[in-house]
Amino acid sequence: MADKAVSEEASMDGQAPKPTSIPVTDNTVWADASPLLDAACIGLRYGELIHGDNFNLFAAMSALEIMDPKMDSGIVCRYYSIDEAIENGAAPVPISLDSTIDVQCTIDIMDHLLACEAAWHKGHSLAQTVFSCIYLLRLDRTASHALLHSYGRVIRATCKAVLSVVSDARTHEEEDLFTMTYGLPLNGDGDEKCLSMLNAVEETISRQLRACKATSSKRRVSEDLEPLQYNPNLEEGFCKALLCRLRFRKHFFHVLTCMKRPQGRGLELARKHIASCISELEFILKSAEFLQSCSGESCEDDIDDKTTASGREPIGFDASLNSRLSAPTPPRAIKILSWKKAVEYFVKLLHDLDVICSYSLDPHLENLLRFVVQFQKSQPDLVARSHLQLLLVQDGKLYGRDPIFAVITKAAALPEATKNHDIQKNESILQLGQLVMNLLKILCTNAAWQRRKLGKILQDWRVIYLQLELALRNEFGEVSSSSNDENICMKIFQHILIWVEEQTYWIACRFLMLGFELELYSASEYCMVYWYSYAVLIKLAEKTHLKMAVSYDTAKRKGKKKRDSPKDLVRESRIPPAVLFLQCYICLAEGLTMMLAALRNEFMILQSPSPFNTEQEKFVQHFELLQRACIPDHASYLSFKESTTHARFSTLVMYNYFKDAQRIAKEVKSSFSNDPDRLAELRKLEQVAEHNSVALNLICRLGALDPSLKVSFEFSHHPFFATAVVRRS
Amino acid sequence: MEASSEEKAEFEEAEIKYVSYEGEHHLPLIMSLVDQELKQAFHKGKCVGTVVCKMGEHRNTFRGYIAMLVVIKPYRGRGIATELVTRSIRMMMESDYEEVTLEAEVTNKGALALYGHLGFIRAKRLFHYYLNGVDVFRLKLLFPRQELHYSVPVMTNRDEVMNMLIWIALEECSGLPYSEERMSC
Repeated sequence: MADKAVSEEASMDGQAPKPTSIPVTDNTVWADASPLLDAACIGLRYGELIHGDNFNLFAAMSALEIMDPKMDSGIVCRYYSIDEAIENGAAPVPISLDSTIDVQCTIDIMDHLLACEAAWHKGHSLAQTVFSCIYLLRLDRTASHALLHSYGRVIRATCKAVLSVVSDARTHEEEDLFTMTYGLPLNGDGDEKCLSMLNAVEETISRQLRACKATSSKRRVSEDLEPLQYNPNLEEGFCKALLCRLRFRKHFFHVLTCMKRPQGRGLELARKHIASCISELEFILKSAEFLQSCSGESCEDDIDDKTTASGREPIGFDASLNSRLSAPTPPRAIKILSWKKAVEYFVKLLHDLDVICSYSLDPHLENLLRFVVQFQKSQPDLVARSHLQLLLVQDGKLYGRDPIFAVITKAAALPEATKNHDIQKNESILQLGQLVMNLLKILCTNAAWQRRKLGKILQDWRVIYLQLELALRNEFGEVSSSSNDENICMKIFQHILIWVEEQTYWIACRFLMLGFELELYSASEYCMVYWYSYAVLIKLAEKTHLKMAVSYDTAKRKGKKKRDSPKDLVRESRIPPAVLFLQCYICLAEGLTMMLAALRNEFMILQSPSPFNTEQEKFVQHFELLQRACIPDHASYLSFKESTTHARFSTLVMYNYFKDAQRIAKEVKSSFSNDPDRLAELRKLEQVAEHNSVALNLICRLGALDPSLKVSFEFSHHPFFATAVVRRS
Repeated sequence: MEASSEEKAEFEEAEIKYVSYEGEHHLPLIMSLVDQELKQAFHKGKCVGTVVCKMGEHRNTFRGYIAMLVVIKPYRGRGIATELVTRSIRMMMESDYEEVTLEAEVTNKGALALYGHLGFIRAKRLFHYYLNGVDVFRLKLLFPRQELHYSVPVMTNRDEVMNMLIWIALEECSGLPYSEERMSC
């Protein structure tokens, strides 16, 4: 367009075009470059770039601005600005003078906005999704259309609320586009009152619904109620369709507001609104049949792909209008979720939020960690995870309520009064508090990112342990102090040290297990992974047991007057259930290590010889972060080889680790009768043990004789412990 | 890179020649390969596969990166991709690079198998790496470390933005000589 203007000017007077703001000086003169540019345009073929001494390929590439309609002549938009689109009738208000069509189109807009909102949650930019709606971009225009206006306001306020939660939580690494708003009109004056506007509209339509129901039963109806639209046969259907959509929006906004309340005070109320949301979504789904029937269009096969319940294309959306706001990268074409998938998304989101809202805010860190791990199994999306994180870590406290030092002392099995001790001002203790908060945040991120972060913090936890150990030695030396206060300090340090180690091994364990969930290990690597897990689990069980024993010891010492009853002695010698649970893990890990090693040693399977490196390089790569943090000590490739070189089926059948695992799992079940999650897992562990034991025996008996036997490892019972499957090929 | 059920080209192993990128005249060959609307011509002398790699320093590590690997459909399942990648990796190893890396979609079973057999591990999973929502694995191959080896990688050139390494698989044209000249650009 620019060159057209220039050449027109040139042909008019044959002279140089007038300069605008840059004056001619002694050394400069204006010259018409149009003929040169024209010649260049003709001379350049497709795919060629200008090249010069001071203008290399890099410079030419950098000068390109693709997909910006002003710079890229290849981009042809229908409209080049929002105002142009509006002037050309892309977003009419009202949508139609025919009130029936107006209502239908309004419902389509609401549906499409829901689909856009879900697409946004899934990781696309606001500019290409929710704010592809021209009505939303200029919401003031819709003031005369109560339905559209109030709905628009609530959606805007909702997006703003969700955005602030996700931004605050900062759990959105890969979904970077989510938080970019680049000048989109998210802040509306008076949006806090959006609910009262919505309520007013809802009230009007409710009355209208009652009125049309009354009419149908031939009762007298009030004269001053205006029908929604002209066709009385459709009035009831449209009222219902609108009401459930408005109510869903209202309740969803309430959910967000309630969950935002500090210290989890609004969780119970949030649950009620969540339940309402889910029931309104069901009504929304049911309305599809009515809306499709009165849309007048034939029922197409791909109705499931449509972004509206009626199957019609919505009016008033254009994602290209915001293409300049979708910086920094050129916006890629995205696919808005189908309306059905959008509803499904919101149902799942609401269920995940409900789990969060049902949580008891347990002050015990180990219970909290187990809750978060369990929650993550349902693969919650970004919005749910952000809400969880903000609930857990607020104002530097757990749930905004429990100071981190109190959490640590409780986790370290120290007496309740310890939480007020001055030791919390110690530099290393403060740093430890930061590490704990950071750990909680990390556990709320998506599995892939979580694993990377957990691997990185292992070093930090190791360092803090060494720092604390040093502090302990420096302050108290090796000799036990005479001062009572120093004695207490020393005890606190000791307890915390043991707990820090336990927590470090827990992180290492989670790091290794996530590798299975994320499918990072190939079958030929399972042996080394189980071996390393076994080494870590042994340490974890050891530290957990030590912590419990020390705490019992401390408790016993406090109650000096009590004499050891036989019951106390028994309790002392019995292994705590938590440790037994870990021992079950240990047996399975060891069993799998040995079985995989034996398969390799005796039958040469599950090896992966490579032309460029050996198993040692793979070992180094997989466990690099653990090795760097010395978790555990002496877990080298050499020791792995030493442990596994002599594995044979004949010996494995005799020392059957799987049988041990089965026995322990059975034994410990009664201790977890109040814990359905752990009971369920124990059952799964039993199944793994049983199946593997059978496979072990089978391979031992038939393996050498029957070359057609094939062994594979599947995660059919437990996400971390594989089950050996023996088949005949 | 799974074997397609479409027409498979009939050829013998000896008919595929591997040449290193020689200059800009090879670019159209490569460009046409990566073009989705590749026309499947069956006369000889045409480019049937290519690999494009980058070699450079990354956080104090000399690392090779496999940017792109493509073999046209009729020629898949015959080890051409493996050969292209193997030659590239060998060159990186001989230049004393420490590791090789690339990304592959988690659903790309063929690529994962190919690189798995060459010694790559799945070092990381990256969530929604591509905007179509697909996750990828970052694959890494660590070369065995030679403890007391201080040689400098052959192809380092500090002035270049990056060093590229390109291999092309050409189906032989009878009678035409191919130069064995190898270079990087």
